Amino acid sequence: MLGFLLVVLLIPYLIAAYALLLVKLKWGLRQFGAFIVATIGLLTATFFVEAYPIIERDGLAVFLEARWDPVRESYGVIQALTGTVLTSAVAIALAMPMALGVAVTINEILPARLKGIFGSLVDLTATMPTVIFGLWGLFVLGPFLHDVVNSVSRFLVGDDVMTSPYTLFTAGVLLAIMITPYAAAVIREGYALVPKPVEEAIYAMGATKFEAALIKLRYARNYIFGGFFLALGRAMGETVAVAMVVGGNFSRFTTNIFESGITISSLIALQFPNAAAYQYMVPALFAGALLLTLFGLAINAVAIYIIQRGQV
Amino acid sequence: MTAKSHNRVRAVDAERRVINWLGLGLFAFLGVAAVVPLFFIIGDVYIKGIDAINSLGGLWVFLTELPPTPFDESGGIGPMLVGTLYMTALGALLGIAVGFPLGVYIGEMRREKFANVARAGVNVLVEFPTIVIGLFVYAVMSLAKEDLNRYLLGPLSSAISPLGEWVPWFIGPLDGFNAYAGAVALTLIMIPYVALITASAYASVEQPLREAAYATAGREFNALFVVLRKAVSRAVLTAALLGTAKIAGETAPLLFTAFGNFYYAPFTGPTGAVPLWVWYAAQTPYDVQIVSAYGAAAVLLTIILTIFIIARIRG
Repeated sequence: MLGFLLVVLLIPYLIAAYALLLVKLKWGLRQFGAFIVATIGLLTATFFVEAYPIIERDGLAVFLEARWDPVRESYGVIQALTGTVLTSAVAIALAMPMALGVAVTINEILPARLKGIFGSLVDLTATMPTVIFGLWGLFVLGPFLHDVVNSVSRFLVGDDVMTSPYTLFTAGVLLAIMITPYAAAVIREGYALVPKPVEEAIYAMGATKFEAALIKLRYARNYIFGGFFLALGRAMGETVAVAMVVGGNFSRFTTNIFESGITISSLIALQFPNAAAYQYMVPALFAGALLLTLFGLAINAVAIYIIQRGQV
Repeated sequence: MTAKSHNRVRAVDAERRVINWLGLGLFAFLGVAAVVPLFFIIGDVYIKGIDAINSLGGLWVFLTELPPTPFDESGGIGPMLVGTLYMTALGALLGIAVGFPLGVYIGEMRREKFANVARAGVNVLVEFPTIVIGLFVYAVMSLAKEDLNRYLLGPLSSAISPLGEWVPWFIGPLDGFNAYAGAVALTLIMIPYVALITASAYASVEQPLREAAYATAGREFNALFVVLRKAVSRAVLTAALLGTAKIAGETAPLLFTAFGNFYYAPFTGPTGAVPLWVWYAAQTPYDVQIVSAYGAAAVLLTIILTIFIIARIRG
């Protein structure tokens, strides 16, 4: 009944908000603000409620144990959590240098005519459907990385380290390509905010372009940290592309990035279609979603705090 | 200056110049490395995609027919294309309808405390994992579905069904998975995009222009939504187009809301979408379906590139 009321009252609510815009503008506008805040609150609350059965049964063990055995109705998501952390770490380590490169390339190196085109290409990377990244990762990037990593490792340690084309490492590299534009956008914004007098002072000291770029990046460091956290948030939440290349190893705990693994979001995407057949699987997956939500909220709070601290 | 120190200065200078070139070269290399994969991806999708469309029976067949079963020689993505267009259009319209006033609020009323709370909320929502939004809509849908059908949609659909054959395709008792749930999930993804860009467009309106708008418009509503709208319309249009391009390619929020369907079916039940078909078909072991995944990816990419280029030219 609660859900029914929620859905049914939503439409009159929005109509009323529009009507209120005409009568008392400020209050009408506030309704839209309230709508978005309520959505986030409801979302978190819903996941708590949906995940409650398994939290009641297992306590926090569902977040701390590594097992995924639907037949025995025993669920734990720590292997997925490790997978999320490892893929995000690989992605961030590769993406941050590239994002810095994008910011400097656009602002210092390219002539004015090419700036717009290069910027559009970076934006297009952010707009590309994630499933197309996944398709490319599945048939091109995965096999390619498999060959490259194994020929390097044969040379170094005399053995293949990458057991299959679809591993946590593949997912991390693919994620790096996908999240670079988001980090780059924030860093570009900060880079462009370096005041003109500061820039003039840098060149008046006789700095070369490279030295000027380093100083300006230091000046924009709040934005770099902010971009770091926003990109991290994207990397942790990305689903479809990761699920296609991560290897789908649901149960075995691994910290080796060259093995196939699983992340929380891809666990949800790959297991949810069969979840209804088991008693506790749906709550377990909602517990994973709850974890993702809380991480997302925390990371965004940090990122927003860092960027706003820089602006004051 | 003695000759010796002069030489030293020169040497240091040359060293700095080398470091300068090396450093800038490194940055340029990293920057280019960020966009090079884009060309590989677009090339890969179009080269294999165009072959795929030709081998599955040509463009028209591919755009209208049902998808190939593992034993078929030809087929297409007709039902998915219809589903994508319907859900994207609905999601984009609703997203603009809510996102635009929200953007005005957080852009124009910056001094209000609650506006800052709402801005933080929008910033969180734009970064939210899209699969979480899909799960949320699924959870609400499964809570509301039964009562919704019993008290509202059942009577409504039987009341208006005499209007014609088309009614049950759009309105009727809902299944757990349906196009409207998918559209709502896409809306929730679209809202923050539109809101943030609208907000920054309104925030960048100069103070004299704002005062002039308030002076001439009479009411605050007219000042904000009629006069100033013209100053920001270009940015807002770009936001709407880019947001539409983004949601047209979303897969994760549709997994548990629209679910996917291989046939032309009413929008009140499971509905197919092009990204869902790419996701499903790419992971099957059947060659013909993998080929059709590439064809579908080429169609999807064409839709998104078109919207993106329009947005860039207009904006």
